[in-house]
Amino acid sequence: MGLQDFADEPILAGAGLTRTYRLGSTRVPALKGVDIEIRRGDFVVVQGPSGSGKTTLINLLGLLDRPDGGSVLLDGRPVGAMDEDTLADLRRDRFGFVFQTFSLVPVLTAAENVAYPMALKGLPERECRQRALRLLERVGLAERTEVRPDLLSGGERQRVAIARAIANDPEVVLADEPTANLDSETASGVLDLMRDLNTERGVSFIVATHDPRIVARARRVVALRDGRMAGGA
Amino acid sequence: MTLWALAWRNVTRHRRRSLLTGGVVVFGFAAFALAGGFMAQSLEGLREGTIRSGMGHLQVADPAEFEGGSEGTLEHALPRAAEVEAILRADSEILEVMPRIDFVGLLTNGKRSVPFLGVGLDPPPEGRTMDHPKTLLEGRWLLDRSERGVILGAGLAKTLSLRVDDTVTLLATTGDGTLNAVDATVAGLADIPIKELDDRFLATSLGLASDLLAASGRVSKLVIVLRDTGGVGPARQRIRQALGARGIEAAVKGWEELAQFYRQVRVLYIGIFGFMGLVLVAVVLLAVANIMLMAAAERTREIGTLRAIGTRSGFIRRMFLAEGIVMAALGCAAGALLSLALRVVLNHSGIMLPPPPGATHGMPLHVKIYGVAYAAGALAMLATLALASWFPARRASRMPIIEALAHV
Repeated sequence: MGLQDFADEPILAGAGLTRTYRLGSTRVPALKGVDIEIRRGDFVVVQGPSGSGKTTLINLLGLLDRPDGGSVLLDGRPVGAMDEDTLADLRRDRFGFVFQTFSLVPVLTAAENVAYPMALKGLPERECRQRALRLLERVGLAERTEVRPDLLSGGERQRVAIARAIANDPEVVLADEPTANLDSETASGVLDLMRDLNTERGVSFIVATHDPRIVARARRVVALRDGRMAGGA
Repeated sequence: MTLWALAWRNVTRHRRRSLLTGGVVVFGFAAFALAGGFMAQSLEGLREGTIRSGMGHLQVADPAEFEGGSEGTLEHALPRAAEVEAILRADSEILEVMPRIDFVGLLTNGKRSVPFLGVGLDPPPEGRTMDHPKTLLEGRWLLDRSERGVILGAGLAKTLSLRVDDTVTLLATTGDGTLNAVDATVAGLADIPIKELDDRFLATSLGLASDLLAASGRVSKLVIVLRDTGGVGPARQRIRQALGARGIEAAVKGWEELAQFYRQVRVLYIGIFGFMGLVLVAVVLLAVANIMLMAAAERTREIGTLRAIGTRSGFIRRMFLAEGIVMAALGCAAGALLSLALRVVLNHSGIMLPPPPGATHGMPLHVKIYGVAYAAGALAMLATLALASWFPARRASRMPIIEALAHV
């Protein structure tokens, strides 16, 4: 096996993933055996209507939730047996997250929000700040670094969220409906930014969406229907 | 961004919640500081009152005298009293040494006789250091050691229909069993707070008591007044050593050993204020826990986000704990300022409190700055807020991340 073969190995994979939620006495199956592989530099769009299992898949691949069946593999190794602290450290060091509702820490400024994951990792405060300012400049928010999230527009908040997602140089960024709360123009800008970062930094993106504009610009599309792959993984 | 910086930011940015919590802490702390200061002031007043009521700081007597049960007059007189007095007077920390003779006898107005509990004393130093002159309802305090006057409890005087300047006769048994009588003039009437004692109390000069009892220089005890109440322990130690070195077998007791009533009141006060403190802590705990639970619920999504991006559960718990501690510290600081301001207002209010147990006169409300109460208040508030923060933090940190993120 050569170096090229290693590079082609999936960094993140889901094998036979199933997940069922309980709603009172009712059991609602969200995923019914999904297989997916993510390689370095991928830009994968998980597409499907509401309730198809997109968010559940993102949650499982992002180590935010544990599957009922199947396993999530990181660098080919299953993560199921890892404890919560280890999973938290993996999310901090190797993953980035962009949520539909931006999910910024309201008491922190834009720069502090971006610096937070770096501080968690133990980087010196000065370095965290300098790096956060550079990242905010990269996402076009050089003038808004000291503004709190409640004073930022939706597009600006999502840009801060993206800057935060790439703060620790992750290998994978998971984005769940990142343009759902944005107008067309802003959404297009956010999408361009994600694609640029994907190209520049080689960060893999997994984007759950039903936005046809994102689907149109995807390198690879995974379609989900009723918790199953509808084709293409 | 450190844990404490984040906690500080959360406290200062969630103003309404912080003000609510801080308000409860300020109230709790101020209540602790003021109640503790009042208790300390009351106990100090009671302590000084006990000492000045005649107890003195220390007493030196024959060991059997302290045990009681004396059969005859001066049966357990202090051995080598003059030598002991000289030793005591040589101690620079001792302000006064006052000999006393305790005795019993009959007081007669010529028509009727009533038993009394008498004390022969040295009037000038007793008048300077004790509260005897302040208890006088009528007349004057005794002038010197040889005065032929008596001070009577108002109850005793009433029983015998005596007034100031009336002549009375004191009858008592001398040390050798002989009955003796002397005449005296009523110099003053005293208000003794305990009725049973008021009906039997008689004080006279050491000279008259000595003549009546044929004491020949013997005394029941020496009462010592120190320059500083705090010096009782070391002074007792010094006196014991000095007497022991001369081979004098005398017992030395501090006021606290003798003042059983003070000890009982102290236990009662500590019990009452301790109970109040517990109630206060419970009220603060419930109020703050409620606010913290609401805060944790409001911040569920934020906690979900923090955990999603790699914050460990332990950090979330510590963050809430740190917020609780920051709020407790701020609340205690504000509470300290409030209690100091309220103290000034209360101490100048002129409010009179009813007489404490065993006293005949009320006293003005006075609150002391009592460091222990401030420390206890701060500790109680810190512990309460830490406890109130811990449970919602634990709940928040254990909630599944996806549930927290989906929280509305």
